[in-house]
Amino acid sequence: MNKSNARLGWLFASPYLIYSLIFFLFPLIWATYLAFTNWNLIAPDYEFVGIQNFIQAFFSESVRAAFFVTYKFLGMFVPIVVAGALFLAVMIHSLPKFKGLFSVAFFLPYLASGVASAIVVNGILSYNSPFNIWLRGTFGLDIDWLGSSILAPLIIALMMAWKFAGYYALLFVAGLESIPKEIYEAAEIDGAVGWKRFWKITLPMLYPSFYTVTILAVGLMFGIFTEPYVLTGGGPDLATHTWQLEIYSQAFERLNAGFGTAIAVINSVVTFGSILIFRKILEKWGAKHGWE
Amino acid sequence: MVGNKPFKTTMLYILASFVLIVMVSPYLYMVLGSLSPWDQVDRRIIPTEFTLRSYEWLFFGGEGVLARPWLRALFNSLFVTLSSTILMMTTAILVGYSLAKLKFKGNRLINNVILFQMFYPAVILLIPLFLIIRYLGLYDTYWAMILPKAVNLWAIFMYTNFFRSLPDELLEAAKIDGASQLKIVWKVVLPMSKSITTIIFLFLFMERWVELLWDMLVVNSENMLTLNVLLAQMFGPYGGYPGPMYAASVLLTLPILILFIIFSKNFKDGMQFVLK
Repeated sequence: MNKSNARLGWLFASPYLIYSLIFFLFPLIWATYLAFTNWNLIAPDYEFVGIQNFIQAFFSESVRAAFFVTYKFLGMFVPIVVAGALFLAVMIHSLPKFKGLFSVAFFLPYLASGVASAIVVNGILSYNSPFNIWLRGTFGLDIDWLGSSILAPLIIALMMAWKFAGYYALLFVAGLESIPKEIYEAAEIDGAVGWKRFWKITLPMLYPSFYTVTILAVGLMFGIFTEPYVLTGGGPDLATHTWQLEIYSQAFERLNAGFGTAIAVINSVVTFGSILIFRKILEKWGAKHGWE
Repeated sequence: MVGNKPFKTTMLYILASFVLIVMVSPYLYMVLGSLSPWDQVDRRIIPTEFTLRSYEWLFFGGEGVLARPWLRALFNSLFVTLSSTILMMTTAILVGYSLAKLKFKGNRLINNVILFQMFYPAVILLIPLFLIIRYLGLYDTYWAMILPKAVNLWAIFMYTNFFRSLPDELLEAAKIDGASQLKIVWKVVLPMSKSITTIIFLFLFMERWVELLWDMLVVNSENMLTLNVLLAQMFGPYGGYPGPMYAASVLLTLPILILFIIFSKNFKDGMQFVLK
């Protein structure tokens, strides 16, 4: 009986094993090799160039742009989406009825394709859109939204926040629901109400959800492609040029497959390292305030 | 203070409804844009009259412009997404079940490898994966879009955790009744996993449906493009046709919305497990 169980176990797991061999392990080894070559995706011959790709990446303007653009996105997106999600969650949580209805409705933007939302955002911000005509007519403001290197990343960050706030809010709602009512009652006796109650009890008790949401949001920013690709193409002046755009353009537009792979390796190291640092900061911060 | 409570609640609902309208307004803008006369698209928020011209243009072409293969692209999207999603669900259920309930040597190891893979940045694999597809002769085929997306680690992880929470006694009882393992999965385990299955299916379908980069890389000929890719590529040269762009965006959004509404009943229970 046990033996047949084992055979069946391996049989059931085999799709995963075969898949991982072909689409994970093998490409992983290949990538490690490719990163040290100067292959151009087409030519039959290529040579091993050692760490030249990595040195070249260090001095490349577009790679450097990708590096800094990600942190710029992080600085805009993470505070906006965390605050937005928290706001939505507290609102949903305090509704006596129709909680489910509202949480599902706030989740809807998450279902939108980045391409479709880019089209809508582009339409709303185009030069002669009703919104811009109104701004010009009422305030005399003539703003080139997607042509400004400060506003373009902000718009993408806002777009992503719109998309993810409702999703992350669900995580916060789960956290809020897990706070025992007794704690609030005890706090009320001690005179903690309103904002004080929020800061002293809700927020600390919400720390685990806060931690999860922040790390998810940070991770997300290292992998964005669709929105900047469709909306700005990485411009203006590389202001929205993300890692994925850089890898895509190097490997598939300029056909520098070796160099592109090297950048992908650098990207993964940077992503991994950055997330590790963010985790440590959050953990230290939590520990300092005694929030486990 | 007590007398103020209904007032406060009313204010809260007004605020929530206002936020809701703000959150869904891009969708509304999209729908209105798709139904606007062309000289009013992006000029008026609410058009003075409604027309289906943008949808007609999408499906039948017009004005010296060739009809783009939108219907074909919609079909491609549905075909690729459904095939991928069904494969991902099937493999996740089988692998998850074997890891959670069939005690075999190597079971723990596989589980740990999956965890490691999940946190491994997939971007490194992009270029070699593309090369593998090309060397296998799958470039520009449906296989290229389906095969590399036939296994999903997150789904396996979720199912493994969920199946672990199912009582062994139930499965034992079914086994004593003479049911084969496959039958147990189909007749006992799956009916108990409805809500989690709904959520995993929705997430996988949605993520596959909006995939851009991979589908853009491995497919080239026009009648192979998915709707998402076609729309992204039209964005440049056909940006001058905003009405049809909005109509295509509606086409792109509608299937997910419909699915979501169909399954929204099971949404909350499943979500609670996924968020844990």
